[in-house]
Amino acid sequence: MSQVLHPIEKKIINALKETEKLGIEELEQKTDLSADQVRRGIEWLKLKGLADVIESQETTHKLSSAGDEVLKSGLPERKLANLLKEEPKSFDEAKQSLSESDFHAAIANAKRNDWIQIEKDDSGNTKISLKVQDPQPSAEEKVLKEINQASFDQNALYHDKSQHEKLVGYFRLKKLGLIEEIVKKSKTILLTEKAKDIDTSQVDLEEIDVVAAVPVTFVARTHPLKEVISEIREIFTSLGFTEMLGNFTQPSFWNFDALFTPQDHPAREMQDTFYIKDSVAEKVASPVQIRQVAKSHKLGWNYNWNIEEAKKMVLRTHTTCVTIKYLADKKPDEARIFSLGRVFRNEKVSYKHLAEFNQVEGIVVGKDVTLRDLMGLQQEFYRKINLPKVKFWPTFFPYTEPSLQSMVYNERLGKWVELFGMGIFRPEVTKPLGITKPVLAWGGGIERIAMLKYGLDDVREFYNNNLGWLRTAIQCQ
Amino acid sequence: MPVVTLYLDRLQRLVGKTSKEKIISILPFLGLDIEEQTDEYVRVEYSPNRPDYATDFGIATGLQGLLGIKKGLVKLEIKKGPYQLKADQYVKKVRPYVTAIVAKNGTLDDETIRQLITLQEDLHFGIGRNRKKSSIGIHDLDKIEFPLRYTTATKEHRFVPLGSESENSMSEILENTEAGQQYSRLLGKSESVPVILDAKGNTISFPPIINSALTTVSTSTKNLLVEVTATDKNTAEDTLAVVAATLQNAGFLLTSVQISGAGNTTPSLKTKKMSLGVDLANKTLGLKTSSAIISAALKKCRLDALPKKNNISCTIPRFRFDILGPMDLIEEVALGYGIENLKPTLPQSSAVGEKNIVTKQLDLLSKIMVGLGFTEVINSSLVSKNTQYGMTNRDSFGFLQVVESKSQEHTILRDMLLPSMLDTLSRNVHEQYPQKLFEIGTVFSAEDPIREELSLCCISAHKDANYSEIKSILQSALKTGFNIESQTNTSTHFCFAKGKTADVVANNSKVGMIGEIDSAIVENFKIRMPVVAFEIKLSGLIFN
Repeated sequence: MSQVLHPIEKKIINALKETEKLGIEELEQKTDLSADQVRRGIEWLKLKGLADVIESQETTHKLSSAGDEVLKSGLPERKLANLLKEEPKSFDEAKQSLSESDFHAAIANAKRNDWIQIEKDDSGNTKISLKVQDPQPSAEEKVLKEINQASFDQNALYHDKSQHEKLVGYFRLKKLGLIEEIVKKSKTILLTEKAKDIDTSQVDLEEIDVVAAVPVTFVARTHPLKEVISEIREIFTSLGFTEMLGNFTQPSFWNFDALFTPQDHPAREMQDTFYIKDSVAEKVASPVQIRQVAKSHKLGWNYNWNIEEAKKMVLRTHTTCVTIKYLADKKPDEARIFSLGRVFRNEKVSYKHLAEFNQVEGIVVGKDVTLRDLMGLQQEFYRKINLPKVKFWPTFFPYTEPSLQSMVYNERLGKWVELFGMGIFRPEVTKPLGITKPVLAWGGGIERIAMLKYGLDDVREFYNNNLGWLRTAIQCQ
Repeated sequence: MPVVTLYLDRLQRLVGKTSKEKIISILPFLGLDIEEQTDEYVRVEYSPNRPDYATDFGIATGLQGLLGIKKGLVKLEIKKGPYQLKADQYVKKVRPYVTAIVAKNGTLDDETIRQLITLQEDLHFGIGRNRKKSSIGIHDLDKIEFPLRYTTATKEHRFVPLGSESENSMSEILENTEAGQQYSRLLGKSESVPVILDAKGNTISFPPIINSALTTVSTSTKNLLVEVTATDKNTAEDTLAVVAATLQNAGFLLTSVQISGAGNTTPSLKTKKMSLGVDLANKTLGLKTSSAIISAALKKCRLDALPKKNNISCTIPRFRFDILGPMDLIEEVALGYGIENLKPTLPQSSAVGEKNIVTKQLDLLSKIMVGLGFTEVINSSLVSKNTQYGMTNRDSFGFLQVVESKSQEHTILRDMLLPSMLDTLSRNVHEQYPQKLFEIGTVFSAEDPIREELSLCCISAHKDANYSEIKSILQSALKTGFNIESQTNTSTHFCFAKGKTADVVANNSKVGMIGEIDSAIVENFKIRMPVVAFEIKLSGLIFN
C-alpha cells in the first residue's frame, strides 16, 4: 500500500523510532515542532493506525504550607511529649503551654500513640505523664519527614503490608491538610507495528497511478427537458409574462368551440384528439359565453352548434384553452400571460411525433399591439435562447389571423427549422367572449427546442428515461 | 397538412418570366412549406384553408402575384350552356344538394390528371369533411347525354363502377369496393341511395361513393363535367368554385349547367365584395402606409382592391371562402406587402412577469430531491392498462380511458406514478446501480368532474435498498422543503411487501404510501434488485 505522510508525521515517526515512548512535551523538544503541530500530527497518525496514544495519570504528593510549619515545629503530640519530659503536668499547665486547639489534638493523639497516661494524684488533681521517657517517632512523623524525599515510595505505601502503619499516618496527615495531592495527566505516544516498518525517507517515492480510470460518479439531476422548460419559463417571465395553469382534461368548449373550431372540423375527430370515455362536463361556461359562441359558429360556419359536443371532455390539444378561458373570464384590456404544460394529440408515436408533449403559449392583450410587436417578441425570445437568426413566413392557424410561423437557423443542422407559430386572435374568437382589444398569441412545442439544444434527432428520447442518456447528457448546453 | 408535388419545369412555364430559384425562394411566402426539394421537383405542404393550392395552376397564380408578373383577381368566365341537371324530391332525405359545371376545350396530360385527382381528394378531406359534407365527380362530358337527373335508386340498381369491367349492384359496390367500405356509413341506413343518371338512363355517378367507368377521364379527354353533391348548399358551391377556378387556370373554358329541382339552383360562383378600413390594416400590422400601397398589396394576392378615402373596396373570388372578414384581408395585405418588409418591433411594457406559485413549489421540490441524490424522470400521463394494473397486480376499476388511441401504450390516464417508475427501472436493468429516481407529475381520478392532482414518487433500487432509507428520504424532503412532519403508520398496500409498508401521514391525513416493493412485483418488472419507494399527493399538502 502506498502511504503518503505529512512532514510533521515523518518527524514524529522518526523521533519515536529513536525513543520508543515519548510524551508530548518530549516530542516537541525532539522534533522542534510546536505543541499544536505535534498534537495534530499525533491525531493524523492515530487515524491512519500508525500511532497509539496511551493516556496515563500520575499522582504525586508534597507537604502543604501548613505541613512545612509542622515539620519545623513538630506535631502537637510531640510538643506535649517534649513538655512532659521534665515532669508530669496538670491539664491546666499543659493547656497553658500548648494552644487550645493543639491541646485537644495532642492529648487524643498522644493517647492513641500510647505515649501518655492520665491519672489523679493523692490530692485529687489530674496529672499527665509520659509512659516512656522518649517516645519513638509515630507513623505520621515518619511520613512527614520522608514525604518530600525522592526515596519516598508512594506505591509501596499501598502495597507493602509492613508499611500499613505509615499508610494510616499518611491518611491522617492528608486529613489534617498537611499533605497536598498533585494529579498529573500525561500522554505517551508509541508507534504501532505498521509504523515501525515505514521508512520515512522512502515514503514519497511510492507513486500512485494517477492516470488510471476510476469508477464513474453519476450526478443526480433534474430531467434535461425540465431544464429547457424552466429556461423557457424564465424567459417568459423576464419578458413580463405571468404564468397561468390549467387542467389537462378540458371540455371541448374551451379546447375547440371557444376558439372558433367548427364542430365538424377534422381536428376534433377522435383520430386526432383524445376524448375521455364516458366523460361529459356538467357546466362548461357561463350562459352568455355559451350563447355567444353558438352564435359565432352559426354565423361563421353556417351550421347549428350543439352544446352536447362542447361538453365532451378531451385531453387538451393545446395550452390555448387555458389562456382563452382566462381572457374570457377576466376580459383584461391589457395583459401579458403565458401557459406552459402538457398537451395531447392522438398521433402514432414516431421519432418526430409524440402523443403527449409540452407546449408554451404567450398572450399579449393591449389596445395598440401589432403584428410587428408579435414578431419583435419572437425575435427577443429566440435571442434569449441563443437562436439569433430568425425569419417569418405566413402560415395558417384556425383561430388566428394574420398568422405567421417563425423559422430559426440551426447551426448544427445547417438549416432553417420551423419553431413557434403566432398570430392575432380572430374576431370570431374574441368578440363572442367579450374581449375587445387585440390579442397577440404565440407559442409552440418545447420538445423541438429541447431537441436542438441537446442535439437529439428522436423526440422519444425525452420520455424513454434511458438512464444511460439521463446520466450523461451534458447539462450546460 | 396536405402535400403537393410541383415539377419545376412545368411550374416555371405556368408562372412565366422568372427563374426556378426565384420560385423556390418565394414559395414559403405563399404559406407553402417546402418538405422536399430536388432538381426536378419540390414537395410543399399547404394549408387546408387554401385548397386552390392543391395544384400547380393555383400556386402559379399565387406566385405570379407575389412576383408582380400578374396582379389582381382572375375572373371566372362562365359561358351560358345548354346543359341541364334536375334534382328530384327523393334526394332530400339522403344527400339534398347538387351543383355542376362544364369545362371545355382543354388538354389533359398525365400530370394534370394526377393533380386534379389530388385536388379532388384534398377537397373531399377538408371542406368535404371526408366526403360527408361534399363530394366531387369529374367526368368525360362527351360520354354523357343531357339532361341529367339527380335522384335515388335502390341498392339493387346496377352499373359499371370506375375501375371495374362488369356491372355491380349498389349493395355490391358498398360491400366490395374500397370506397364503398370506407364511405357507406355516410349513406346511413336508408334503403335508397343517391345517383346521377343521364338522358339515356346511364349511371354517371353514385355519390359520394364512386363514378361510373363510362365517364372515366383520360389524356384524350377534351371536355369535362364537374358535379358536386353535398349536404350543405353553400359547401357544394364552395367546392365547385375551387375546381372551376383550377380548370380555368388549366386552360379550359367554363360553361354553366342549369341546375333545378328540390331547392337546387344554378350556381353563380360570383365574387364577394368586402370593405377594409385603412386604419385597421395599419393598426393591426403596425404600419403607417397609404390606401394605395395597401390596395397594391391586396392585388399581389390576386384580389381586386379599389382605394376609397379611408376604406378599400375589395373584390374576392368565390373560391377564397377562407376570407371571412377584414382580418383575413389584413393577412393578405401582409403577404402582398411582404412579410420580410415588416420589421419586428419590441413593444414597451411595464408588465412584471411571474411564475405560478405551484410551479415555484415544484421547482423547489425538484431541487430537494436532486439534493437527496435522486434523478428526475418523466413519464407519460397516458399509460397502458397492463403497466398500470396488470404488472402491479392491482384491481382495475374506475380508471379513465381515452377513446380510440392509436397506441396501445397510451390508453388510460394514470392514477399513480409508481407503476411507470417501476417500468422505468425495468427498462434500465443494465445500467449501473444504485438507481435513485423521482417523478413529479399529474395523476387523475375518475370523479365528476375529473380530479387532477400532483404527486411525487420516489424510488430507489440497489442491493442494500431498505425501508429506513426511503423513509428517511421522505421525511427529509418534506421537513426541509416545507417544514412538514410526516409519520408512517402500519398498513398494507398493493404492490408493497406485507409488513414492510405504511401509510404516509402528514398534517393529520393520509397522503400516500411507502415501503419495500413486493418481490413478486419486482420480478414482474424483471428487476433484480430490492426496490423501495414512496408516493405522496402534493395537492392539498404543499399547495391547494
